[in-house]
Amino acid sequence: MEKNENQFSGGRRYKNEDITVFWKPSACIHASYCYRELLEVFDPSRRPWVDMNGATTEKIIEVVNLCPTEALAWKWNDEAKNESVGTDQLNHIKFRRPELMNANDPEAKEQPVSVKIMADGPIVLKGNFTLSYNGTRKEIRDSMISICRCGVSDHMPFCDGQHRKAGFIG
Amino acid sequence: MEEKKEVKPQAIVEIEDFGPLKISGNFLVKDLKRDKEESPTEIRLCICGKSANKPYCDESHKK
Repeated sequence: MEKNENQFSGGRRYKNEDITVFWKPSACIHASYCYRELLEVFDPSRRPWVDMNGATTEKIIEVVNLCPTEALAWKWNDEAKNESVGTDQLNHIKFRRPELMNANDPEAKEQPVSVKIMADGPIVLKGNFTLSYNGTRKEIRDSMISICRCGVSDHMPFCDGQHRKAGFIG
Repeated sequence: MEEKKEVKPQAIVEIEDFGPLKISGNFLVKDLKRDKEESPTEIRLCICGKSANKPYCDESHKK
């Protein structure tokens, strides 16, 4: 039963007494906020890589909220508290993984495309835009891509996380 | 007139080989390392890692 409890469709969950953190590896774009800000909890070189005893609940929530994708999301274990969570809690499942909450996706249609230049990392583009690279043209709708900025990726032009090993500074 | 439901692209993002990454249209750039925000109508960002003027392209990819 314990194994089932820690796994869910598309990922794993990690709990302390206050909150549950959901990890969805397929959504990760290696923006690297989690381990940069809180290696005690999020250590990619450790298994399991999330240690919920590594920091206070407040600190874990703060860092999960920095994740620019739905790779990391969280909720209160006390379900009643989840209803009243404010929009400043960016990565609460209510906003990031509504399918885990039975909520509808908040929409943002005519928003400018968000272009984030990560510290020593990739360019993260989010929103509705046309992407063209090496003769390929793609329409991106309400989603996110991560472009390599170090020149080392094996999946150019997309980031594959190698900037960390390469020691890219920029 | 009924409002169109289709979502329009807000920007065009173009990449050619090692650079630069060109963006034009409606977008907002946040540079987290240099703590800078800007919303130009066009920008050219370095993706080869060689620019001396990061995050911008300085044509170093041609060298």
